[in-house]
Amino acid sequence: MLLVLVAALTLEATALLQYFYSRDGIRGEAKARAESELKATQNRIMDIVDQTEAAVRNSMWIAQWCLLMPDNLQKVAQRIVEDNPVVVGSTVALVPGYLRRRPLYAPYVFRGKDSLEFKTLATTEYDYPSKEWFIKPLETGRGYWSEPYIDHGGGDILMVTYSMPLKDKDGCFAAVITADISLDWLTELVGNIKVYPNAFSMVVSREGRILVCPAESLVMKSTIHEVVRTMDDTASLSALNRAMLAGESGSLRVKEKGVSSEVFFSPVERTGWSLSVVIPDNEIYSGIRRIGLMVTVLQIVGLLLIVLLLYLVITNMLRNQKLSSQKERIEGELKIASDIQMSMVPKIFPPFPERKDIDMSATIVPAKEVGGDLYDFYIRDEKLFFCVGDVSGKGIPASLVMAVTRSLFRTLSAHEASPQRIITSMNDSMSETNESNMFVTFFCGVLDMKTGHMRYCNAGHNAPVMLTDHISFLPVEPNLPLGVMPGAHFREQEIDFKYDDAIFLYTDGLTEAENAQHELFGEERMKAALNGRRSADDHMENMKAKVAEFVGDAPQSDDLTLLFIHYLNEKAPERRERHLILHNDIQQIPQLAEFIEKISEEKHLGQSLAMSLNLALEEAVTNVILYAYPEGSDGLVDIEALVRDKELEFIISDSGTPFDPTAAPEADITLGVDERKIGGLGIFLVRNIMDSVSYERKDGKNILSMPKNI
Amino acid sequence: MEINISKQDGGITLVELKGRLDTPSSQDVSNTLSPVVENAKGTIILDCTELEYISSSGLRIFLTIRKAAAAQGGKVIVRNISSDIRSVFMMTGFLNLFEIQ
Repeated sequence: MLLVLVAALTLEATALLQYFYSRDGIRGEAKARAESELKATQNRIMDIVDQTEAAVRNSMWIAQWCLLMPDNLQKVAQRIVEDNPVVVGSTVALVPGYLRRRPLYAPYVFRGKDSLEFKTLATTEYDYPSKEWFIKPLETGRGYWSEPYIDHGGGDILMVTYSMPLKDKDGCFAAVITADISLDWLTELVGNIKVYPNAFSMVVSREGRILVCPAESLVMKSTIHEVVRTMDDTASLSALNRAMLAGESGSLRVKEKGVSSEVFFSPVERTGWSLSVVIPDNEIYSGIRRIGLMVTVLQIVGLLLIVLLLYLVITNMLRNQKLSSQKERIEGELKIASDIQMSMVPKIFPPFPERKDIDMSATIVPAKEVGGDLYDFYIRDEKLFFCVGDVSGKGIPASLVMAVTRSLFRTLSAHEASPQRIITSMNDSMSETNESNMFVTFFCGVLDMKTGHMRYCNAGHNAPVMLTDHISFLPVEPNLPLGVMPGAHFREQEIDFKYDDAIFLYTDGLTEAENAQHELFGEERMKAALNGRRSADDHMENMKAKVAEFVGDAPQSDDLTLLFIHYLNEKAPERRERHLILHNDIQQIPQLAEFIEKISEEKHLGQSLAMSLNLALEEAVTNVILYAYPEGSDGLVDIEALVRDKELEFIISDSGTPFDPTAAPEADITLGVDERKIGGLGIFLVRNIMDSVSYERKDGKNILSMPKNI
Repeated sequence: MEINISKQDGGITLVELKGRLDTPSSQDVSNTLSPVVENAKGTIILDCTELEYISSSGLRIFLTIRKAAAAQGGKVIVRNISSDIRSVFMMTGFLNLFEIQ
């Protein structure tokens, strides 16, 4: 509002300044107009004055000549009237006593209603020699303009007389020649001065008589003195009066009845009249008032526009401010959300600084503040549980699903080491409540740190890359993503990591990173970037740099997640042979022979060793089948053979009742036939064949480990 | 697993064991040899020429026969065992329990 006020004040000040400057200008213009009108009127009057004077002057020589024949003097007067339309009457009045024969003689010719009429002024009633018009010229010897007067003889018209002395050839005054002119034209002429609609003009005679003025009642009835006396602003008017009567020209301000006026006046030469124009201020300044009014209106309109504009600008600013504060708040919240999300995934690398058997690194680069990608990993029971997922969609909705997915992964993998079962449970949980129809491509792996054996299950995610002696994609089953279909089946796969093998997991934000030409980064560039020996961290940095280089200035279109696991367990088995799972059925025992045979062929163990191993394995497995599971119940026996360079290790596990075969009594082989017990040979054989046998109960499982140097 | 039981002159019972004597097959072998165990007064020759493999359950059958013979005054001869099986016998002290030919 202050702004509006300042604008308004500035405008007003400007307008006032302009007003006053204009006022001066307008006043000047009014003066110029008045003066030019006065001058023009003056000129017109002077025209008539000149004509009249000329009419008389031009008759002089005839009149002089006629003095010798006085009867012709009337004709002189008649010529003056006839020849000069402005002249309404004329006389040649002889100086009394100039002609002895005619002591008084003044034939008067004047315009009657239809024609010229004649009469004589030499009557005793009139006594022309006593009249001013007769005396003055003779006194001064020059032409003389009489005070205007009302001619009662000729129809009460306002007249003025110009009279001029006539000398005879001897230089003696002989007569006075006159020309009367009506002042009707003067009234008309002066009345026509219309400088401004309400301005008026006046003519005042030498003696202050009002000759022309809008108030006709005053004409010839009052003198200007009398009028001034009735007025308020006597001082100004008197000064004006004096100036006018002194034959000055100029202007004066008068204030009458609250109305200020400018009076311009100018004398009419020879006649002694003063011509004046009275212009009320409001007339002079009506133009400027009109302009002022227009300016004021424009100002108001302008101010309203400014107010409107300011209103719009301010409301817009406020809205922007509101929006930007909202935006800031949202950004702040997104930052927090991003922090929370990032705090869900492990991000301290190396994550297991005390471990020499693994080097890993991971990174997540969301396309927005929060993203739908996730990775997670942790080690439990010497197993590395890890996952990479990509929620369909981006932004906050995806980040929420990501959080749920990560929580489910942590919860379900806490008591379950099978990726297939972890993923199946996750899928069932997510499908049941999946109202937003979002799904998650998900890879879950469980890497046994000791053996390098990895079980994995892929739910529609991009196939990870294996880095062994060459770079290739890890074979993955075409399972559905999580959250698509409840009860979906997921197939588990497995692979063995040797020392120095690595796996690289990623989301499609990597392979589908787009450059400005809409080309995709693609799998080949990805595999190429994985070439070369680097630490896990360096692989991350290298890959990110390669993508950044490829993408250039194009905006990141999708979340980008990378996970690199380098398996560095030097004691890792070179290779794992079969992983055999048997039911708790004695009839499945022969499968062990085939199992051993394959290992034997691979490792060239020789028949004797193969048989011994077969025997030890059979004894151990038979124990499980016979004793771990109650009769008639279904159960599995899990047999792993870990093959290292110089060692073979069997790991037999089952989920049956706790049973420690190493605690069973052993056969005493020193006894004779009678004393020998039938049982107890199995575990005895196992102990004798294998280098050691160790039992542990873990996660509800009986685990028997039996290594053998080979 | 294939078992041939034949009576020979001099009250000798010849038992030919062919194949693998593992846990699953022991059950059948045990049943098949129950007459031999019941009548173990004479000489019982366990021909192991074609015995490829033996597990503890097989050894238990051998021991059962040996115990029956001892109880009934008979005699058990284990013939022609492979070196691998011999080592198992050695390991388990069976070499001392049986007459090995």
